[in-house]
Amino acid sequence: MILRREPQPRGPADASMTLLNDVIRRPLDPGYVEVAERKAAGLDTGRTWVQFAWVFLVAVLLGTLITTAVVTLRTPKDGVVRARALLEERIDRGRTQVKSLRAANATVSQQIAKLQSDALASTDPNLLTSLSQYEVASGAAAVSGPGLRVTLDDAADVRQNPDQADPLSRVMASDIQEVVNGLWAAGAEAISVNGERLTSLSAVRGAGLAILVDLSPLLPPYSVEAIGDPDALRARFSRTSASTRLELLGEHYGIVSSVSAVGNLQLTGGGSVTLRYAAVHVQEDASKTAPTPTPTLEASPTPAQEGNTP
Amino acid sequence: MIALIGLVIGVVAGLVLEPSVPVVLQPYLPIAVVAALDALFGAVRALLDGLFDERVFLVSFLSNIIVAALIVFIGDKLGVGSQLSTAVVVVLGIRIFSNVASIRRQLFRA
Repeated sequence: MILRREPQPRGPADASMTLLNDVIRRPLDPGYVEVAERKAAGLDTGRTWVQFAWVFLVAVLLGTLITTAVVTLRTPKDGVVRARALLEERIDRGRTQVKSLRAANATVSQQIAKLQSDALASTDPNLLTSLSQYEVASGAAAVSGPGLRVTLDDAADVRQNPDQADPLSRVMASDIQEVVNGLWAAGAEAISVNGERLTSLSAVRGAGLAILVDLSPLLPPYSVEAIGDPDALRARFSRTSASTRLELLGEHYGIVSSVSAVGNLQLTGGGSVTLRYAAVHVQEDASKTAPTPTPTLEASPTPAQEGNTP
Repeated sequence: MIALIGLVIGVVAGLVLEPSVPVVLQPYLPIAVVAALDALFGAVRALLDGLFDERVFLVSFLSNIIVAALIVFIGDKLGVGSQLSTAVVVVLGIRIFSNVASIRRQLFRA
């Protein structure tokens, strides 16, 4: 059986689409045709002055209206752009200021540390040695050595369009916390997250979508660097719950993570240290069991007395 | 002719005076501009067809703008303002396109 298609006249495709057909096939305002027909029939009897005045008035009104609309639609954009530029400029200025202040802070605390160690070296060399050990442990002093680097990054679709992506496929503060805790448990001696050294008072916290380490916001990709024996660290880290969690994150949310051994990591010191506790130095003849460093260290295990960023 | 002169005077007045639009009316401005474009292309087509009439042009211009704004206003009140303004833009857009197509056919015979 052969089906033959009848040639159909070009008519409305579907009766239910009268509106669309009407819009597409007869876009000219029917009013024009009507008036033309009336003119042809001789029914249109010209215009009076009042009608001319009306036409003129309406035309002026419409012209003003449309121009105003166009002008208004154009102006706020400029305003927005200007406001944005102003804000950007302020942010830039703030950033450079922060940078210079940080640099100044670092040099000053270096000077302080040098003066302190000089002073201590002449009066109490033992205290200086134990102090520098505590500084390494607490994160106040810069350290370097072999270690492990764990990197985490948001899932690919978050990176492509951050506004619509599932917020669960972002790296969250709790993920970083887990990794950091896992690395401590695996025997890391010092850890920094995106260059922010973790001291014994550091906190990894989430504020909305931002991840803060010691109140400075981090940007992805996140890299957690830990100093320690790379092989031992890696073996022990793979047995922690952090490692399991990373696998889970990669499987379910597409979060990219990797663990690699690095030959030489440079971790900065934890910045300036605040004096929280101080005690009067005990006279030398009374101190038989060298109690001098004890009170300060009991008060807080952080480098409570001295800042040191060599 | 008188409508054209009036429009030009209106445009100049709008550019010189730069009257400020109340914030309440601002959502209707894009729709008003699209409706005006539709009326404009309709007028050009009527002109080419030899059917142009000032009064019809002005009335269609004005009613286009008012009806479009009214639809969007009602839509806003019903909570479907953005959908209805999309509908208005689509219908007027189709009209503009077919008017321009017919103008093009008349001008270039293609």
